Amino acid sequence: MAMTGKELLQLGRDTVLVCAVLYLFTLDIMMAGGVKMDLNQGAVFVHDSDHSMASRELIYRFQPPYFKLSGEILNEKEGIRLLDQGEALVVLDIPPKFQQDLLQGKPTAVQVQVGASNTVLGTLAASYSAQIIGQYGFDVALQRMGLTGEGLERVPMLDDRHRVWYNPNQKDAWFMSISELLTVITILAMMLPAAAAVREKERGTIEQLLVSPLTPMQIMLSKVISMTLVILIGTAVSVGFVLYGFFEIPIKGSLPLFFLVTALYTFAMSGLGLFISTISRNLAQAAMLVIMIMMPIILLSGAWTPPEAMPDGIRQAMYLSPLYYYIEMAYGILLKGAGLAVLWDSLLGLTLLGSVMFMFGVGRFKRQFE
Amino acid sequence: MKINRVKTLAVKEWREILRDRLFLSLAFVVPISMMLVFGYGIKMDVENIPFAVLDQDRSAMSRDYLHQFIDSRYFDYQGDVENEDEIDNLIAGSKIRFAIIVPPKFQETLLSGRPIAVQSLIDGTFPFRTSTSKGYVAAINNAFNTQLLTAYISQKMGVTAEQAAAFMSPIKIQLRYLYNQELRSIWSIAPAMMMFILLMTPPFLTALGIVREKENGSIYNIYSSTVTRGEFLMGKLFPYVVISCINVVILWLIAIFAFGAPFKGDPVFFFIASVIYVTCTTGIGLLVSLFSKTQVSAMMLTVVVTIVPAVLYSGLLVPIASMDAASQFEAHLFPAMYYTDIALGSFLKGIGVEELWTRVAALLLYTIILWVISYNLFHKRVKA
Repeated sequence: MAMTGKELLQLGRDTVLVCAVLYLFTLDIMMAGGVKMDLNQGAVFVHDSDHSMASRELIYRFQPPYFKLSGEILNEKEGIRLLDQGEALVVLDIPPKFQQDLLQGKPTAVQVQVGASNTVLGTLAASYSAQIIGQYGFDVALQRMGLTGEGLERVPMLDDRHRVWYNPNQKDAWFMSISELLTVITILAMMLPAAAAVREKERGTIEQLLVSPLTPMQIMLSKVISMTLVILIGTAVSVGFVLYGFFEIPIKGSLPLFFLVTALYTFAMSGLGLFISTISRNLAQAAMLVIMIMMPIILLSGAWTPPEAMPDGIRQAMYLSPLYYYIEMAYGILLKGAGLAVLWDSLLGLTLLGSVMFMFGVGRFKRQFE
Repeated sequence: MKINRVKTLAVKEWREILRDRLFLSLAFVVPISMMLVFGYGIKMDVENIPFAVLDQDRSAMSRDYLHQFIDSRYFDYQGDVENEDEIDNLIAGSKIRFAIIVPPKFQETLLSGRPIAVQSLIDGTFPFRTSTSKGYVAAINNAFNTQLLTAYISQKMGVTAEQAAAFMSPIKIQLRYLYNQELRSIWSIAPAMMMFILLMTPPFLTALGIVREKENGSIYNIYSSTVTRGEFLMGKLFPYVVISCINVVILWLIAIFAFGAPFKGDPVFFFIASVIYVTCTTGIGLLVSLFSKTQVSAMMLTVVVTIVPAVLYSGLLVPIASMDAASQFEAHLFPAMYYTDIALGSFLKGIGVEELWTRVAALLLYTIILWVISYNLFHKRVKA
């Protein structure tokens, strides 16, 4: 207990470190929430060779939130230049006689050039453009048949209705801020214990601890417990002020369960942190190792990319990432309001994997004292 | 400033790095393994979305309709459910990401020539995935609608199916993807990863290298020597810049040969821009090291000032153009964005100095500011 106090005191003295931790738990998560993953006001430039009612009507369908009409260009070269510069995302090319062809029922073609140097954005822009143009063609066809408004009631058609659960307005901030919080917890849960252990080694104060009547287990537990406490406090601040207070995420599930899971996760990760501290001689090495281990863990967790999209081999490997289970439970509890009945398998996975990792770290840590 | 002294310091630092075998190997192993892991691991394509169906009609037509989903490579069929409660549980447990409910009398209503609503329930936790799934569902529904209407029109107007189909979609869309025709995400990710890795690792190495001297106290030897501030900084950082430049070449080779990314631009221009970039990021490490007394806090501060902007404000995961105004402004404050433009431009677009000089200038300016600030903040005297 006294040792835990000492660890906390030591941490508290390092003002820069405290500020960095505080920053990560608050401002950083706020910033992350401001980022949007969807196509938002992609710049559209139009090369309109027809200048008719029909072409204008089509052009004006490229509207926010997805697109933003940024201007008209006079030739194709200009379009390429804008795409090269990254100023245009989509260049629309409407052929001459567009309206005439439509009215006569002749097929006509609209060229869409999409800058795909960012494939995500390129794919989205292409699919939204295709939807807009397709819908326009569809509307034109219906109009020619004289089917508008009331008339549509007498046509066999599917009406696409969707309901989005848990995040009905699809606010990116809800997803991004939680995702960032989990990443922050992951980084700190490994970094802090590793740093605390290596520092003693580097300064030689570990010898002092060795001659003291403390067992290696006590030395180590005090470090893990104090760092877990710091992380739990940070998480509480973050959930309370940022997630709930700032982004207004309705916390649906049980908070005690969430903190319990977080504590479990922190323990598991600190096992890795301790392991790192045993194989590195100074902090620089420890830091490099933390990054090395952290990257695949985050990557394999589905925090940034949907797990289903992963290639088969990697999908199996995801079961080895503790963050994978933690993410599942964190979103489950915070957004979906799921309880143990649904999440028991993830909890079991994390507990098993966590105990192995923690035991491993403890074992290595103990051995270095012998 | 005497070149000789700078050289001596650089050699001393270089020896120190060489002696710490683990540190040295990590300096090269970390960037390479990060490149490989991310290159093979990040996939933004939304595919194999697990879903379930609730078919309340069980007619030939509803089966026909649902098969459009089951046969699609974008979806991964997880089976039928009996009622809506089951869907609740499956979505809550992340077993499926969306479900489609076909209402009773689906076939009867459509055959009698009336519209009917089909509902899809979508998991909204990951908004990017949600909107993509929504797009796929809409596309399948549209295709099915076109089928229905084509049949309806050909029957009503007495024309052939082909004529009716042409009537239904009068506008053909000629879609052209520039820069990455096959939409291979690895081609876009590889250059972006160079940005990411070269933003993160140089400051880490640098900050830790300097703060280690501070913490060990060996920096007092420098303080009491005749070496000037400028000489110390130059000598100290030169080896780190060299390491990063070697990494630039290694990563470039990985991007081209391991990932098969095309390099259409000018290698000389790209290399010069990269050297400026790593000098800049090394400067970030220098600045961080001046603010922190211990290696732990140097580490944390580096994480804060590099990883976050590298992931969020660089265009790696989230395109700058789709951020809101405030985030876009923040993105312009970090060097990552400019280098992303340079890397993507050089790799995929084949553009060079003419189009990208503003980005290089921004990086250069950033570098100079960082180094000037650090130079002024670095004192040889310990504050009383």
